[in-house]
Amino acid sequence: MAEERIYELIFICRPDTPEAEIDKVISTLQQAAEEQQGRVEKVDKWGVRRMAYRVDKCSDGFFVFFLIHGRRSEMVKELERRLKVSEPVLKYLTVRIDEELKRQRKLVARRERRMARRARKSAGETAAAAG
Amino acid sequence: MTPDAPQHTSHGPHSSRSSHGPSGQRGGGSGSSGGDRPRRPRRQYVRKRKVCRFCVDKIDYVDYKNVDMLRTFILDRGKVIPRRITGTCARHQRWLKLAVKRARNIALMPFAAGA
Repeated sequence: MAEERIYELIFICRPDTPEAEIDKVISTLQQAAEEQQGRVEKVDKWGVRRMAYRVDKCSDGFFVFFLIHGRRSEMVKELERRLKVSEPVLKYLTVRIDEELKRQRKLVARRERRMARRARKSAGETAAAAG
Repeated sequence: MTPDAPQHTSHGPHSSRSSHGPSGQRGGGSGSSGGDRPRRPRRQYVRKRKVCRFCVDKIDYVDYKNVDMLRTFILDRGKVIPRRITGTCARHQRWLKLAVKRARNIALMPFAAGA
């Protein structure tokens, strides 16, 4: 079994799309992810916000954020295909973040280890000074 | 005496003064100060050492979704500020670059000229 991968997926809809339609896109994506043995950990509707540049003559967009755990690389392909064909979606971005999270955990662990060592050392020094 | 004088001047003030010896020193402050090379003025200020803000804040992951933070590292035109100016360390600048590029892709950040 392939290792589990973590993806962040953001897509932007036209600001004038009714909420029901956006929900429909969300549910189809969720379904597609589950079909590919993935699971959607989090769905976050950021709502309408200003985009940094105009896309298809829209300067605002409805942002939706997904956090997905997946096991198959085809899952992303399928999700992006669906986003590409769905009418209200202006833009989407999938980012694989598990390796960066791993690196982050490593750095945090290293820092904690170092702090612990330093604390132990200073404690030892004070003990030696006292003794 | 008179024909010698122009010769001395051609040698420059240094030679004439050295020939004069101690009398020249006594001659006045102006003479001695001219002979000594003026000391190069010491650096008036110590340049403040820039530190990587990510290192200070112990950031292990630069998130592309954190637009407000990323905004402080780009110019109004949308360009990333070089690390020689911000003082960001190489590793964090690399992460920052990646985050800015991702944010640009999804229209959270401008590519150029944030008009």
